[in-house]
Amino acid sequence: MLSPERLALPDYEYLAQRHVLTYMEDAVCQLLENKEDISQYGIARFFTEYFNSVCQGTHILFREFSFIQATPHNRASFLRAFWRCFRTVGKNGDLLTMREYHCLLQLLCPDFPLELTQKAARIVLMDDAMDCLMSFSDFLFAFQIQFYYSEFLESVAAIYQDLLAGKNPNTVIVPTSSSGQHRQRPALGEASTLEGVEASLFYQCLENLCDRHKYSCPPPALVKEVLSNVQRLTFYGFLVALSKHHGINQALGALPDKGDLMHDPAMDEELERL
Amino acid sequence: MIPGKYRSVSGRAANNVNCGLHLVIQTSSLPEKSKVEFKLNKETPSFSGRLLQHDLERNYSSRQGDGRVISPSPRNKSSCISSTTNVTELCGLEMKTTMSSLSAFGDSSIQTPSKSRIRQGCHSAGPNVSGDHINLASSSMPSFPILQRSSEEKILYSDRLTLERQKLTVCPIIDGEEHLRLLNFQHNFITRIQNISNLQRLIFLDLYDNQIEEISGLSTLRSLRVLLLGKNRIKKISNLENLKSLDVLDLHGNQITKIENVNHLCDLRVLNLARNLLSHVDNLNGLDSLTELNLRHNQITFVRDVDNLPCLQRLFLSFNNISTFESVCCLADSSSLSDITFDGNPIAQESWYKHTILQNMMQLRQLDMKRVTEKKRLTINNVARKWDLQQHRIPNIAPNQDRKVSDSPQDPSQLHGSTISAFPEETGSLDSGLTSALQGLSVTDTHLVEVDGDTLSLYGSGALESLDRNWSVQTAGMVTTVSFTFIEFDEIVQVLPKLKIKFPNSLHLKFKETNLVMLQQFNALAQLRRVDQLTIDPQGNPVVNFTLWKYYVLFRLSHFSMQKINGTEVTQNDMIMAERLFGILAHVASSELPQYRLISILGDARKKQFRYLLETKGKKPGLVNEENSDSKRLVGENTNRATLNYTTRDFYNERLEEIKEKKKFCKMYMEDLVKEATEINMKNEALQKLWPQMFIELVRDAVIEIRNKSSYMKLCLQQITDQK
Repeated sequence: MLSPERLALPDYEYLAQRHVLTYMEDAVCQLLENKEDISQYGIARFFTEYFNSVCQGTHILFREFSFIQATPHNRASFLRAFWRCFRTVGKNGDLLTMREYHCLLQLLCPDFPLELTQKAARIVLMDDAMDCLMSFSDFLFAFQIQFYYSEFLESVAAIYQDLLAGKNPNTVIVPTSSSGQHRQRPALGEASTLEGVEASLFYQCLENLCDRHKYSCPPPALVKEVLSNVQRLTFYGFLVALSKHHGINQALGALPDKGDLMHDPAMDEELERL
Repeated sequence: MIPGKYRSVSGRAANNVNCGLHLVIQTSSLPEKSKVEFKLNKETPSFSGRLLQHDLERNYSSRQGDGRVISPSPRNKSSCISSTTNVTELCGLEMKTTMSSLSAFGDSSIQTPSKSRIRQGCHSAGPNVSGDHINLASSSMPSFPILQRSSEEKILYSDRLTLERQKLTVCPIIDGEEHLRLLNFQHNFITRIQNISNLQRLIFLDLYDNQIEEISGLSTLRSLRVLLLGKNRIKKISNLENLKSLDVLDLHGNQITKIENVNHLCDLRVLNLARNLLSHVDNLNGLDSLTELNLRHNQITFVRDVDNLPCLQRLFLSFNNISTFESVCCLADSSSLSDITFDGNPIAQESWYKHTILQNMMQLRQLDMKRVTEKKRLTINNVARKWDLQQHRIPNIAPNQDRKVSDSPQDPSQLHGSTISAFPEETGSLDSGLTSALQGLSVTDTHLVEVDGDTLSLYGSGALESLDRNWSVQTAGMVTTVSFTFIEFDEIVQVLPKLKIKFPNSLHLKFKETNLVMLQQFNALAQLRRVDQLTIDPQGNPVVNFTLWKYYVLFRLSHFSMQKINGTEVTQNDMIMAERLFGILAHVASSELPQYRLISILGDARKKQFRYLLETKGKKPGLVNEENSDSKRLVGENTNRATLNYTTRDFYNERLEEIKEKKKFCKMYMEDLVKEATEINMKNEALQKLWPQMFIELVRDAVIEIRNKSSYMKLCLQQITDQK
């Protein structure tokens, strides 16, 4: 805990990195909103409960979207909560439309934006036939990628478009990839005849992105893994690959592996009791 | 012994006339929208004749016990004679008259038993009504036949006597029939009402289709309730002074030119003056019980005094000469009128006719009878169009076109009162009077409110305001189904508390074209007291396309134990499935939420309820307590779901806006705290850095001081003395 890097960070940066201020602000805000009710049982207890729930991941239940989106921990908690609440729907085997999944999301977060769900659905359906039915696990993993890494994905999309158009966003000349510049001219021709972009080039751009990005990104090593298997890939192909990658899922830590998705013995016990 | 309404329903003699006889004909099942007026004009065959026949037949068959089925054929012109007695029994009837008088009256009414003038009965199956074996014998009184019945007859039918189509030219003297209550002289040639003064128990007197020129000879009949003088030659209404109990007065088809001498008839309920020569209507004060006034086929140019009739509900002015609204403006002041007809008048040809009438007579339920359903349909079309525009389904048409559109369905919507507007017979007349008066609600073409027995239908968002009105307890208590069409669900949510209070028995809710898009919206229904059935029409409610919507409804509203959703029964399996699918959600929503959030969410919902109640507190203070126990019960029933609420989007956004201020403050506050903390931290760190150096210096200074012991001692002593 007392690692030198931690101590080396200046105050504000440290706080910001851990999102401490977000939670403190939110706690005080909640206190203000409910002061009549909370004053009955003490402020100390309130703070205890609040931070306990932050640790447990239940603080995002029925909160507004801006709060849920605020920190990676919130996003992960929300994903986990969604999984736990609606795992039974998946277990039942029902295939639902995008709108219905969105409805379920709205049960937990009333103002959840539709576009996020739409984007997630696009990943599953490969941007095709948006009214198709999707299985719970497919949707959940795609949604995870889309929601947790939404800013990252936006940048990736921009990069992809640039690559497709033949522009290389890497204006910095990286010594190991002289081929990158070399590829620029024929890239145009290639892009029009072949689908997607070249994997290695894509990876280089992403690597730079991860370094610069202040938002959370998937671990670069894993991204490299995803991209090393193929020569060329489309944007949605990339996303699908991301969503199905076990390693990334584990790195996120919100959801269990796909195989265990339907299992939650603790909850099943509760269900029996009801 | 209150005579009920008269109803002629496609011929079925459904008459409630209870003349104190055991002859109450049971009413046919209440006709929903059929004509409910009492028509005694010439179109319908002799009503009372049929009435008596039906009635007598019933009695007959019940008494005789034989299997002959007699059904009165509705419009059989060959109306049967009322008496259904057998041929042999008819022999009992005897009528005597003098021979001399016969010639004076022309066609004699002498009958011989064998002759049968009377046409055959309705069905051959029925008893044949053959000739009235009326023996006319001479009597001491010149020119009056004397009627006598056999004692058997007298006993069997002691209270009624029918002398229909007997070609009588005078009223015979009726001997020894002082108990007579019903007397029928239809279809004769009688010119004067005579010789009935002794029948002081008479309640029902039928002289339809005779040649009477003057109303007279009725002054002793104080119990008379029904007087039928249609199709005669009466020129003046007179000599009705003593008939204070008169309930029905039928003078249609006469030559009356003026309404007069009826002001004392305070029990009169039906007055039929159709097909007369009236040119105006006034002098109606005093008719405090009049509910129906038939003035068809006259020459009326203006109407007055109608607002002095406190109970008048139906007024028929078809085929008269009314040409301006001013001539009938007194109708606007009548609070009880519900049905009017104006067809066949010049006023009905005007383009503004319907609009003006309906706008000025807000309490109307039916105008020109036949067209009511058409109007309703037009209104609903209008509301539907507005809804579609709202939902941006139809592109907004050009303004001038739009105006045309809104002009054509110019029939404003009406408020239909309850069609089972039970007459204030049994119930207090106050209550029903209130209902009929208050059912005149807003007449616009943007919404429609309709109460049809047990269903309250609301079309268009403007209709929601009607929930604010004072519905009579009776009407409101009967409503079990509430149907919403063309109204945004979010708007409905806001009036649900009112619905709960005003219509406590509503158990079935129907939603069509209400923009139900999220499962969450069903959470709002949890605040109702009880819902047995739910019908969500797929049209206009996208939520129905979801696979899980029914289960969610069953889950969230499990405390209602709903029986049917969209017509299909709810099975135990459905409930189990619903719990299985969403049970965890409930568990999470209740047990995993921190305490303060539980309180705030639950508190919010209850706060809203209390706020509403406080608003209405002035009117119904007793309800507050009810609500308390109600909500307590709620908490006990389904705590784990109670946190699943629905706030409409607008409210939600409003709340978020409110919170923004607080958030800003919190941010600033935290920033201040952080600044303070970091400053302290910095100082701390600085101190940490500097401390070793400082410590060394401190020690060094101290050591230097103490190096020379003796001089140090001297210095200290000096310091102490200086201090003093």
